[in-house]
Amino acid sequence: MIKLLKLEYYKNLNYRPFKIFTILYFAILIALLFIGLVDFDLFGGTINLKEQGIYNFPGIWNFTTWIVALLKIFLGLIIVFSISQEFSNRMFKQNTIDGLSRKEFISSKLLTISFFTIVSTIIVFGITIFLGYRYSDTTESAKVFEEIFFIGNYFVKLFTFFCFLMFLSVLLRKSVFVFLALFVFWIGEAILSGVEVFMKVRGLQEAQRNAVLQNDFFITHLLPLESMSSLIPNPIMRLKMAKMIGLKYEFHYPTESLIACLVWCGIFIFGSYWILKRRDW
Amino acid sequence: MEKVLSVKNLTKKFKRIVVNNISFDVEKGNVYGLLGPNGSGKSTTFGMLLSTINPTSGEWYWFGKKGTDSDTLKKIGAIIEQPNFYPYLSAETNLKIVAEIKGTPFHRIDEVLQTVGLLERKKDTFKTYSLGMKQRLAIASAMLNNPEVMILDEPTNGLDPEGIIQIREIISNIAKQGITIIIASHLLDEIEKICSHVIVLKEGNSIYCGRVDEMTANNGYFELKADNNTLLLNALNSLGWFTAVHPEGDLLKAQIRDDASISASSLNQKLAEQGIFLSHLTKKKMSLESQFLELVKNTN
Repeated sequence: MIKLLKLEYYKNLNYRPFKIFTILYFAILIALLFIGLVDFDLFGGTINLKEQGIYNFPGIWNFTTWIVALLKIFLGLIIVFSISQEFSNRMFKQNTIDGLSRKEFISSKLLTISFFTIVSTIIVFGITIFLGYRYSDTTESAKVFEEIFFIGNYFVKLFTFFCFLMFLSVLLRKSVFVFLALFVFWIGEAILSGVEVFMKVRGLQEAQRNAVLQNDFFITHLLPLESMSSLIPNPIMRLKMAKMIGLKYEFHYPTESLIACLVWCGIFIFGSYWILKRRDW
Repeated sequence: MEKVLSVKNLTKKFKRIVVNNISFDVEKGNVYGLLGPNGSGKSTTFGMLLSTINPTSGEWYWFGKKGTDSDTLKKIGAIIEQPNFYPYLSAETNLKIVAEIKGTPFHRIDEVLQTVGLLERKKDTFKTYSLGMKQRLAIASAMLNNPEVMILDEPTNGLDPEGIIQIREIISNIAKQGITIIIASHLLDEIEKICSHVIVLKEGNSIYCGRVDEMTANNGYFELKADNNTLLLNALNSLGWFTAVHPEGDLLKAQIRDDASISASSLNQKLAEQGIFLSHLTKKKMSLESQFLELVKNTN
């Protein structure tokens, strides 16, 4: 394990895209978390997200993890670049000839992924605690830790996303194709879930329709990108503004999405290994 | 002799058959040339033996152990097709990665860089290297773990004459250390200068495996010259040791019969007894190139 970490360290330390995107990511991440302190001029009025209650425990966990997760593509870029360059420089083949097994190769990439996911999670956790204690209306422990599971969900979400990118990189070997495929997947999932919703509510009355949307189980929610995004729902519904216009906030812990994500992780990791094993290099 | 590698009925089929049922053995301490025209399956064979290509059927044994695993690969040093390194890293860091994979101590890095004459450039990134330097770095990388076997696929590809000579010197130095070498090249004079054994591939089939000098049943030929070449020609014909004697420039070329074995001195003695004194006499073997061409032609 130490050996694999050292390998990744040597490979990535002087890789320019790696350095640039790492710095960029962590800089933007930290900046974005303090967004609530800024006044926006929107629709003629001033909106301050802090005034809207985003830094209040326990909702702050939802807010910070959701907004930071938007940035995961930056880290994704690093991972895609550093894996696909192994193939474009024929280094996977050379590593294999030098005696690195397929399993070790996958493990070393998983270590990099885990490293970034852990660091990102720790930063989000640290800043959230800081902002919460500073700006939240309440700081009693029960409230503080009530929704701390969002941190766990954030970790799973990022890890699944990076495993997905690793799988695509191994499958397609060129970073351009990987991002193209990701885009296609994104559109594809949106279309599929649109179709499923349409099929279920076709010909139903308004009241029934809402009931179905609320309570029915949708298979398309188990697709990789969809299940990742259900782990942390959009927190806009929790803003005071949303409450004022009568939107009700309801949240059920997305157990099935969590399971789906873990299953997808497994599929992506073993899929990558299988491709490396089966293909001729 | 201890067998380093034993290949049995190895076959690879992509869309068509690239390597067809080849078998050969490699003995310890010898230098083997893998000969064959472009597309005869040399690189594919190496790929399978180095675990980067999955074989369709057949098996092989490295050091008596079936297949190729990571431990086996750590005893092998290999260069394939072109030097592969991380272009944005220095030679030193690149070799650190190899050393880390192979479990070799880092002090070997400076030693091998010294051997190939790249020690002064070790801090420079790989992409700034010339082709010759890249190729030398590849050899350094293959030597890093003091391998028992080296596999070299076209190590002089695309190099200028000076580069070719440098690489050849490095390789013959390695061979002197008793390391088994398997080298693929389509440059036959290259192979002839360093190899003791050859494996000849043709369209995926192995048509010969053995010592270079036993490749064809040919005994070679003499080149002779005397003051009176007509007299010499008659004398040679009457000896009956030759299949053909014909003039080439101001020399006579006499092809030795397959069943005869004559030394230059005995021929000289025989001719002197007949009162013919030679001003030029050499016994020559057929070049590897002509032997190879003959072999390939014969199996058509």
